[in-house]
Amino acid sequence: MLLFILKRLFISIPVIFILATLTFCIMRVTPGGPFDKDKAIPPEIKANIEAKYHLDKPTFINTPAFYKKKWIHVLTETQYFYYMKGLAQGDLGPSYKYLGRSVTDIILDSLPVSVELGFYAALILAAYKHNTWIDNAAMFTAISGITLPSFLVAALLIYIFSIKMAWLPAGLWDGGWEYKILPTIALGLRPVAIIARLMRTSMLDVIKADYVRTARAKGLNEVWVILKHVVKNSLIPVITISGPLLAGIITGSFVIEHVFAIPGIAKHFILAVTNRDYTLIMGVTLVYAVLLIIANILVDVFYALVDPRIKLS
Amino acid sequence: MKKYSWIAVILLIVGLMLYAKPWSKKSLPSNEFRFVIVSEPPTLDWSLATDNVSADIIFNLMEGLVQYDANLNVQPALAEKWDISKDGLHYTFYLRKDVTWSDGKPLTAQDFVDGWQRLLDPKTASEYAYFLFDVKNAQDYNSKKISDFNQVGVHAKDDHTLVIDLWHPASYFLTLHAFWATFPLRKDIVEKFGAPQWTEPQNIVTCGPFKLKAWEHDYKVVLEANPLYYGPKPKVQLATAYIINEDSTALSLYETGKVDLIRRIPPLLIAKYKNHPDHKNGPFLRGYYYGMNVLKKPFSDVRVRKAFSMAIDRTQLTTLLGGNQIPTTSWIPKGMQGYEPEIGLKFDLDKAKLLLAQAGYPNGAGFPQIKMAYDTRDDNKVIAESLQQQWKQNLNIELTIENQEWKVYIKQLQTDAPPLWRLGWGADFPDPDNFLNLFTSYSGNNLTRWKNKSYDALIEAGAKELDISKRLPIYHKAQKLLTEEEAPIIPLFIDAQNVLIKPYIHGYALNAMSINILKNVEIHK
Amino acid sequence: MSETLKKSNSRSLWQDAWKRLFKNKASVISLIYIVGIILVAIFADVIAPFSYETQSPQDRLLFPNTTYLMGTDILGRDLFSRVIYGTRMSMSVGIIIAFCSLIVGTIYGSLSGYVGGRLDNILMRIVDILYTFPSLLLIILIRVIFGPGLFGIFFALTIVEWVSVSRIVRGQILQVKEMAYVEAARAVGVRHQTIIARHILPNILGPIIVTLTFEIPAAILSESFLSFIGLGLQPPFSSWGSLANDGFQAFKSYPYLIFFPGMAIFLTVLAFNLLGDGLRDALDPKLKNT
Repeated sequence: MLLFILKRLFISIPVIFILATLTFCIMRVTPGGPFDKDKAIPPEIKANIEAKYHLDKPTFINTPAFYKKKWIHVLTETQYFYYMKGLAQGDLGPSYKYLGRSVTDIILDSLPVSVELGFYAALILAAYKHNTWIDNAAMFTAISGITLPSFLVAALLIYIFSIKMAWLPAGLWDGGWEYKILPTIALGLRPVAIIARLMRTSMLDVIKADYVRTARAKGLNEVWVILKHVVKNSLIPVITISGPLLAGIITGSFVIEHVFAIPGIAKHFILAVTNRDYTLIMGVTLVYAVLLIIANILVDVFYALVDPRIKLS
Repeated sequence: MKKYSWIAVILLIVGLMLYAKPWSKKSLPSNEFRFVIVSEPPTLDWSLATDNVSADIIFNLMEGLVQYDANLNVQPALAEKWDISKDGLHYTFYLRKDVTWSDGKPLTAQDFVDGWQRLLDPKTASEYAYFLFDVKNAQDYNSKKISDFNQVGVHAKDDHTLVIDLWHPASYFLTLHAFWATFPLRKDIVEKFGAPQWTEPQNIVTCGPFKLKAWEHDYKVVLEANPLYYGPKPKVQLATAYIINEDSTALSLYETGKVDLIRRIPPLLIAKYKNHPDHKNGPFLRGYYYGMNVLKKPFSDVRVRKAFSMAIDRTQLTTLLGGNQIPTTSWIPKGMQGYEPEIGLKFDLDKAKLLLAQAGYPNGAGFPQIKMAYDTRDDNKVIAESLQQQWKQNLNIELTIENQEWKVYIKQLQTDAPPLWRLGWGADFPDPDNFLNLFTSYSGNNLTRWKNKSYDALIEAGAKELDISKRLPIYHKAQKLLTEEEAPIIPLFIDAQNVLIKPYIHGYALNAMSINILKNVEIHK
Repeated sequence: MSETLKKSNSRSLWQDAWKRLFKNKASVISLIYIVGIILVAIFADVIAPFSYETQSPQDRLLFPNTTYLMGTDILGRDLFSRVIYGTRMSMSVGIIIAFCSLIVGTIYGSLSGYVGGRLDNILMRIVDILYTFPSLLLIILIRVIFGPGLFGIFFALTIVEWVSVSRIVRGQILQVKEMAYVEAARAVGVRHQTIIARHILPNILGPIIVTLTFEIPAAILSESFLSFIGLGLQPPFSSWGSLANDGFQAFKSYPYLIFFPGMAIFLTVLAFNLLGDGLRDALDPKLKNT
């Protein structure tokens, strides 16, 4: 088991490396840069800015160095090399939009907020799961989580609970529990609905399986059958998607954070891209990747625990 | 099974209630003013800031040599008086002697020199360094041609006298000292903490009416009255800026009493709120226009350009927007000297059709299939759709609309502009030069590719002329050339500010530059 | 003899499935609704009383009335007609993207799951990378390359959506692969294609159909998300998502602007979900044995 986890972590290093490289490429070919604005900047000032942020070096290959026959510089005197070197030392660089603020600081400030919100949403998930297969009415409520775009869910919640009833604030994140309720529901509804549906689907599959019939025929207690055989075995498809789902809940939802004015990390997944804040795009992408890798390893471990037929290779 | 899970749910709710602070419907503290800013300030470092959100905060932390009054006239601030030499090349500012920084140190002329040196230092890489390029040797220092800052035309003659030498007279130069980039700076503080840490609340030292109390990134910025401020103390103890990107959320929070001021109302709703007692409206020095790429057919033909401009009923657009925007055919906005609404191509269908026919497209026949482009935003979309319909109805020309994400859009305009595109321009300082300079052949912001030597000459002459009565006729000619004779742009309307402010807030005045001044704000019910 | 047996056998499988499906009221209603919606999408020109782009400035922002069944928008366009035309956009976005991502995802996922070993490892790491990749960047880039039309949206969303399909399919295959009958078939030397086609695919058809019923509405919702962040369709075209987004900022003052398109999304997504559940139960090969 430990060996498996270590092996997976080891494999993940090239994955992260490739992801970073790919993101770097796509970022640079996408038109518009961090300092492109409607107010033109005089060329000499642009040169100063590019020098400050090492954007004056060639992106991947330093051709002038090639002609000067400084062979090593062809690859090392480039933006890509500098960024990767920093990354290898754990330095995510300065943000280009929030001038000079380090990307690490931005992530450390915003991730805990999203994790907190995600934790509440996951609690709903945990509380809800037991009821799904018993309670069909609850199932219907859950469905609204996958039948409406999240901005509509948010608008609906705000309309009912903030404006009509005036019970809960329409946004902000000021410490009190009343600020957490609406965003938690808005964020939690979708994963609840997805899991609930998958559970139902695979539960029906398993209930009809031979071993369950055998167990029943042996006269085992019904609750025991459901718990031991049905729930456990029907978890497999649920676990499959719960890795990404978990990472998704932790990093939150752009729409929810945007609409409720919550200072979480999910905002940056969109805003960093629209600002072309290269280092921040990279930073949040890598955070998400690491979370996802961990979640997926956990999923595979669970697979093996739940279903002994699947071997950890 | 079912029973147990319900117990779990109840435990969970109880736990949450214990963990979190209890719901308190506290009456709002009478000394805190809460307002909304639309994004995280990219920086509070005034040598680096380039955007309005940062300015919303900085203008309350700091002051310059001069400041604007509500009508945008220049008034003394940190300088109590100044002399300008007859040739307009030498400025001498005499500083107030009672100004101290928030850590108790007195303000000196050297602080200005330090601020300017930092602004112009190539290592600072300030985008707005060019605002000082009229100053002797400033540009050379910025582009590393000289390295001795003593050669740059700004000196502290003594602790309270600042002397500035320019290359050439610049009519707008005085107003630049109300602009944040030129504010003084505590060199020792910046060097001690380094950028950007020196702007964090525990480090920053300022000399304006407020101090920075807290900055919770991406959430809120809290300002606190500065007890050492030289002028009358602010009436509110705290001013909190909540960072809310979504306008409809800001509106809901306003309506539920969580904030006292919002400065943006979603375009769909302005009409609804126009008669609301909390609604305040004011002019805004910001023009909205469609530009044409004059290098490309069909807009290389001036007759087509004129026909397009004449075929628009601009009042339809302002009715759509509904926030007292002013339809305009000229370019200098209302509230600025040189505003002449009669200039420009008026709505004239017959003439438009005639011009179009003369250009070889009678009733739109044979007109090439072209795109009109805008950057994605609700109001831009509405305007584009209305214009598309008007040109179709009035000229029988069917254009396709294309919207692009902002950065892609701006890159496209700068590299290969589509035939017809929209942009806006907001004043950096309330001088006609700031608006007209935009379309000179040497301006980096002129995306029409229109180049006209006599226009360039007019603008240069206007900038060097210090007598306003002599400047205005020059600008009259320039505007006629730009919006009537050559028409590379279609001015549409002058923007307006629409805000909602609670009735118990007093002393918040709108000004046409949309500068957010909080020192006079009072709260009483 | 054996030929006819096979034929009747398979026919009865599908007949059984239909029979079972029709017993499920929710599914039948959903099916009727979906067929109806597809007809609306096809015959939008006939149904809509107005053009989707005709503006009448004097009739701006009217609440629903007898002329304008769902009211008018800020430019004085009939919202009912725009929702009707929006059906065409939303449905084509949903169906095309779902099918494309299903095909790509199933092939990829089956390959990965069935072959396993090193290939599985590599393919899944590629999926990991794609999954974490900042898709917004990709979408912006694709819009630049293909222009901001419909095709760009199809392409961009397919690239984003197929990844999750492939993961689900792979998970299912991993499970089925270890089943006794598959192992038996392999032991007897049945060819791989046959094993996949005869033993594995039919057994994972249920989950795949469920996935499809996830994917169509998911694509509709993704498109509305694109509208929300300003990367949706070009005006004057509209989808349900872009219409709902247009009304979003004014949901308090002009609720009808968001209600009708929102309702269209809600009902359609719900119908696909219910139909999916019904289909899944009906098509389940295991039910045949009981």
